[in-house]
Amino acid sequence: MRQGLFATLGLLAALTTGLPVAAQTSAKSAATENGSAFTPPKTPWGDPDLQGIWPGNMGVPMQRPKNLGDRTTLTDEEYAKRVEQAQRAAAADNEERAPKDARVGIGPPSYWTERGKPTRQASLIIDPPDGRLPALTPEAQKRRKEARGGLGDPAEWAGRADSYEDLNLYYRCISRGVTGSIIPVVYNNGNQILQAPGFVVIRNEMIHEARVIPLDGRPHVSPTIREYMGDSRGHWEGNTLVIETTNYTDKTSIGSNGVGYNGEGGRHTQALRTVERLTRVDDNTISYQATVDDPQTWTKPWTMRIELKRDSKYQYLEYACHEGNYAMRDILSGARADEAAKVSH
Amino acid sequence: MRNRIKGLLSTAVVSAVLLLASLPLAAQNQTYRAPRAADGHPDLNGIWQAFTTANFALQDHSQQAGTMWETGAVGAVPPGQGVVEGGEIPYQPAALAKKQANFGKRRTDDPEAKCYMPGVPRANYMPYPFQIVQSPQGILFVYEFASANRFVNMGKPVEAGSDTWMGTNNGHWEGDTLVVDVTGLNGLAWLDRSGDFMSDQAHVVERFTRVDPYHINYEATIEDPKTFTKPWKISMPLYRRVEKNAQLLDFKCVEFAEELLYGQYKKK
Repeated sequence: MRQGLFATLGLLAALTTGLPVAAQTSAKSAATENGSAFTPPKTPWGDPDLQGIWPGNMGVPMQRPKNLGDRTTLTDEEYAKRVEQAQRAAAADNEERAPKDARVGIGPPSYWTERGKPTRQASLIIDPPDGRLPALTPEAQKRRKEARGGLGDPAEWAGRADSYEDLNLYYRCISRGVTGSIIPVVYNNGNQILQAPGFVVIRNEMIHEARVIPLDGRPHVSPTIREYMGDSRGHWEGNTLVIETTNYTDKTSIGSNGVGYNGEGGRHTQALRTVERLTRVDDNTISYQATVDDPQTWTKPWTMRIELKRDSKYQYLEYACHEGNYAMRDILSGARADEAAKVSH
Repeated sequence: MRNRIKGLLSTAVVSAVLLLASLPLAAQNQTYRAPRAADGHPDLNGIWQAFTTANFALQDHSQQAGTMWETGAVGAVPPGQGVVEGGEIPYQPAALAKKQANFGKRRTDDPEAKCYMPGVPRANYMPYPFQIVQSPQGILFVYEFASANRFVNMGKPVEAGSDTWMGTNNGHWEGDTLVVDVTGLNGLAWLDRSGDFMSDQAHVVERFTRVDPYHINYEATIEDPKTFTKPWKISMPLYRRVEKNAQLLDFKCVEFAEELLYGQYKKK
């Protein structure tokens, strides 16, 4: 049984290392982006040193606009437009959106919002080459359609608020999952990496996660154990930290904003396996890639890439998401008040 | 004769063991020198866990029934000897009344029941393991319960910003003891399931000392002029989880607390 499982994993490994050639090539090109390959500093025990606080950069869509085709970077004109959009968004952040007589404001104050610096990267997805998600398997299409009696993927919040379970895992402050925790949202995008002999820890500020990744080659925990953040094992390939994660629950989703991607939930099954590759390409940049493979959901594996920029001045705060989840109580009680008002009319 | 000597010897061994067992951990191992981490200080890396009933009650307590008969003996409180030096927490009268009120509401009001971050020092003696990651950049405590974690700054001390559940943590070494100074606590965490608490004025000083390969002696001094008449101290051993496959797993308990917290707002 166990051997069978390992054989399956091995096959998956062969599949993923074989398929996303584009991903591997771009890892190489990322490392050589700034001329000669960068040699990262080493920890006292000789591992490449990835430590520091590395917020993810915002503003790159998960999927590439179709008109860009196989083009991975924006032209000057397109880039200028993105910069202008970012400036408009920043200006909008400063606008008072709530009417003056409202008892409460909507949205947090603008100084909460982190916009990052626009980049030329056309999409987070770099493989398939068109920057678009591979097709869903027929099984996944059926699953998505039938989810919750036709209401759709639970990773999305469709607006119904009969129960806390109608809201997604992000609203519920449970987890944004492995890749979602890296991809920035509107604020508290800090990722802190710490190392000790035999371990790397990736600590995510939003919701608050601290994923401890052993590097000693130990086997995964039993497939019976299922986790929101999966079971991660790491190793070094040259200066690249490679993290292979299995044992996922089927409750999380993959993608931007933690829960889905651009309007579609990235709901996966327990067959999900991710391979993340972290390479420090210069003093202040980590190229983060994740290959997502769930043969029961997507017809082939896909890879996303995001640049993590070191920010030594970043103030990493305690994000007490669940402890301060007034939104959940207010959304539910608001929905009940709404129903009561309709009944009385 | 031979048998008699053997008998005497074994009595001596048993007495020695008994004597040793009655000494506090720290005293047994004054000569122990812990292996060093990369920073030259004792290596605290590892997975640790307290094995006391302190999370039920810091003070001495008899066995007692749980808050819900439905859970039978599973929900009952095991007896335990306290971890408070001197036996009693020196509450001011009003604070003692609040503790007693907390006790009455413990089923619904204990932040542990709500899956809130446990705060310091409680995080260290909950019935879940935690991992110390002693990195060159600082020391991270990763708790299995509620994915809580706290970063201990080992550099120039930083002042607490806004109050938090896990506090602002500044660490330094005193000889081979890691001393963590915790301020900026929000006063919302409880200290155990019996309603013991402290306020947002609390200042906690923790001391972690490795006393042998498998134990850390843990002490925490709690000072809070709003709640207590004087500073007081708890101490207990932390045990290394020695299983070869020991690792932290998900205990993301939010989903176990949602009905308790939001059930009343659901559509009927």
